[in-house]
Amino acid sequence: MSIFSIGVSGLNTARMALNTTSNNIANVNTPGYNRELAMLAERKAGGGTEVSDIERQFDQYIASQHNSAAGRLASLDSYQIQVSQIDNLLADTGSGVAAVMENFFSALQDLTAAPSDPAARQGVIGTAESLTAQFRSLDSYLDDMQERINGEIDSEMTQISNTAKEIAELNHQISVARSRSGEAPNALLNQRDHLVAEINQRLDVDLHVQGSNYNLTVANGQPLVAGTQAYGLAGMQSPDDPSRTVVAYVDSAGNRMQLDEGEFEDGRLGGLIRFRSETLDGVQNRLGQMAVSLAAGFNEQHEAGTDLLGDPGERFFSVSQPQVFSHAGNAGGAEMSGAIEDHRGLSGEDYNLRVSDAAAGEFEVSRRDGSESFTAVLDAGNQLQFDGLTLSIDDPTLLVDGHRYQLQPTRRAAGEIDTLIQETARIAAAQSTSSGDNRNALALEQLQSVSLVGGEASLSQAYASLVGEVGNQSNIIQANRSAQESLTGYIRSVQQSESGVNLDEEAANLIRYQQYYQANAKVIEVGATVLDTLLNLRA
Amino acid sequence: MRISTVTIFEQGVSSMHRQQNNFMETGQQIASGRRVVRPSDDPQAAAQAVGVSRSRAVTEQYMDARVSARNSLSQEESVLASVADGISSAKTLLIQGASDTLSDADRSSVASELKGIRETLLGQANATDGNGRYLFGGYENGSAPFLKDATGAIQYTGDANALELRIDASRQMPVADNGETVFQSVPGGTGYVAEAGDGNTGSARFTGPGTLDPSDPDHGSAFTIDFSVTAGTTEYSVNGGALQAYQAGDPIEFGGLSLTVEGSPEDGDSIAVAPAQQMNTDLFATLNKAIDVLDTPNQTDADRARLHNTLSTAMRELDNSLDNVLTTRASVGARLNELDTVDSVAEQRLLNYDQALSDLVDLDYVEAISDYSRRQIGLEAAQKSFADISRLSLFRHI
Repeated sequence: MSIFSIGVSGLNTARMALNTTSNNIANVNTPGYNRELAMLAERKAGGGTEVSDIERQFDQYIASQHNSAAGRLASLDSYQIQVSQIDNLLADTGSGVAAVMENFFSALQDLTAAPSDPAARQGVIGTAESLTAQFRSLDSYLDDMQERINGEIDSEMTQISNTAKEIAELNHQISVARSRSGEAPNALLNQRDHLVAEINQRLDVDLHVQGSNYNLTVANGQPLVAGTQAYGLAGMQSPDDPSRTVVAYVDSAGNRMQLDEGEFEDGRLGGLIRFRSETLDGVQNRLGQMAVSLAAGFNEQHEAGTDLLGDPGERFFSVSQPQVFSHAGNAGGAEMSGAIEDHRGLSGEDYNLRVSDAAAGEFEVSRRDGSESFTAVLDAGNQLQFDGLTLSIDDPTLLVDGHRYQLQPTRRAAGEIDTLIQETARIAAAQSTSSGDNRNALALEQLQSVSLVGGEASLSQAYASLVGEVGNQSNIIQANRSAQESLTGYIRSVQQSESGVNLDEEAANLIRYQQYYQANAKVIEVGATVLDTLLNLRA
Repeated sequence: MRISTVTIFEQGVSSMHRQQNNFMETGQQIASGRRVVRPSDDPQAAAQAVGVSRSRAVTEQYMDARVSARNSLSQEESVLASVADGISSAKTLLIQGASDTLSDADRSSVASELKGIRETLLGQANATDGNGRYLFGGYENGSAPFLKDATGAIQYTGDANALELRIDASRQMPVADNGETVFQSVPGGTGYVAEAGDGNTGSARFTGPGTLDPSDPDHGSAFTIDFSVTAGTTEYSVNGGALQAYQAGDPIEFGGLSLTVEGSPEDGDSIAVAPAQQMNTDLFATLNKAIDVLDTPNQTDADRARLHNTLSTAMRELDNSLDNVLTTRASVGARLNELDTVDSVAEQRLLNYDQALSDLVDLDYVEAISDYSRRQIGLEAAQKSFADISRLSLFRHI
């Protein structure tokens, strides 16, 4: 036992404590940093003190809670950003679909008052052009959103795969460091926990701590990080609908496998995917349904009339036909095409079809929103008929059990509606060959009050309910988001309370360890004085 | 609880964000004057507003329709007024022309005056609206509906339809009447007209017919009185019935009617008596008939009888035409009145829609401005407290 060795141990300990405090102060704003505490202990033999451990103040349980809360918030954030775009799109009362539709019907009213007047006829064509243009422009905005979501899924996948690689690499470094010194460097642990927090912002992953390793799995249990091995996620073309990018898991052999979208709830990606299936698809379909109802209903009445040249009315608007996608796995199977039989029967939903009995021509049909599923059987003309649609099979002998098809009756309709009549004389305002006959114009004008959409709502009612639904959806997301924000804020403050640096505390520690250092230096000085005194006794 | 320095800053910043957002939102509402800027601000109100503004647009649309309707009907009304004047003048001329004291030359001048009136009426019948469309053509309003052919007869080439407009959600109103209804019809319930046969050679003149008993079972049918002269005895039969002795000046009674015939009919002469609808109802045919007879010199008693009979028939027909024009005019007036009534209801409705729209989406400024100042204070307080807390640091003291 020596006063010098005791003093030196105190000096060393004080320096380490000061280093720890300085490191805390230096990293006060570093994301992912967890504050450190120098743990002081009495030396076991010979007196003096030592730093037994530089302890990282980190609570795995709170960190996980925080990660999942922040992931949920990120999901709601990205959902809200997307849905508020549609919200704003429908907010424009001056130039929205509702306003141009009113103009169109008001032009038709002018036509009833002057059925042979070229100006009134031109007015009808002009307002019809701007109505169809409005449908197309709304739809192209929604299409752009679909495209952007496809792009974002691709880029998120790259980011997630990279982060997974980094975590696997850190797993490796940490176990190497641990086997070398028995201790893991805090900096590496902080980095790894921070990366886990980051990946949670993008996607919901489950963390399993196994020894010194962090293993991550994605929603359905597929490993993303297993020890030092990382697997990837990638965007891939959906086998159901080639226009859409879906999330695929890349296994060690490089095979891509589509993951069920229902599994993704949290993180930016979860928000995007939920927005796409819950809101975007529906809005586009509903808008398409309105376009089909307007076009088909109007055409029906227009074709019943007679134009100024005495000919029967032609189609006024173009109506697009349903899209049918054959699943990528249906190699060599029958091809299917669709047509709208009765626009009043349309549901505005997408359908999944599966061949359940090829020999009997039996299909399992389910609406994609899950509201209804039923069995449909091919009729004598090799056609399926349901919900106002007719699907034709090119060759029923090629049907194979289990083959799948996706049917989108009105997805493209708003984007493809156009005005076919360009010549004023071709408007069929009459029901006879007389130029002053306005009976068909009256009937056309009356279509604004007829339940055209799904046979149960007028065009304007359908639009109002679309506005109401999007508004509601946006509203709910906003409310959820703000609740989630305060919850996340609270968990964050709990996590920070454990792991965050408080500068006042560090300032106090700085003074405390400085005085501690000075005191130990004094001990050594006293030791030297004592020794000097002894040495001087001989003189 | 320990509070980390990061938390102090984060919480300060996030509470300022929140306050700023609220402040901006109220500011945006005040700037736009709307409480519901986006559908999500109040989805129910936003959806209802779409419905109300459509109802409003439709109401305005029908108002436009009523403006067109009022234009057409007013034009028609003024044309009908002139037509009625024309028919009255023609009637006056006929009375003048029927006078026995007139010479052939006098009658011919009456005839030429009558021709003038016929041309005027033809002009009125072919009147056009501001867009060059013929008022009385029915749906065939692109070309003149009344055309004079080579023989001078005037033909109607329009159709029997009338342009209708939807002037309110549940009311479709005819905003024109076709030429057939105006110039070639008599009102329902018009009485009998008598007309001497074309080939009459005798000097029989008729007066009437008058109605004695409308409840007679034969009342309402058409009758023909045929005269026969056998060995100097003049007899007549009604619709081929039993022969009866003819006594000049005595009324002949049949089917609840009475017709007085004077003069001496010749064998084979006839007089047709039928409800007005079954006789000539064409105004222009009536005028042509009268002009022709006035232009024909009178030499014999038979000529004079023909003049008398034709003018008598023509006068009755003109009366019927005038009635018809006046009835049409009254109906036009009633429609104009209806337009006014519907207009005033619609104006009230527009006010209601405006009020409803305003209640749904417009801003209550008093409330908004008080919110605005309250949120401003909130924001300032958040900034102040952040500034205060962030100034507190132990490092400032060591």
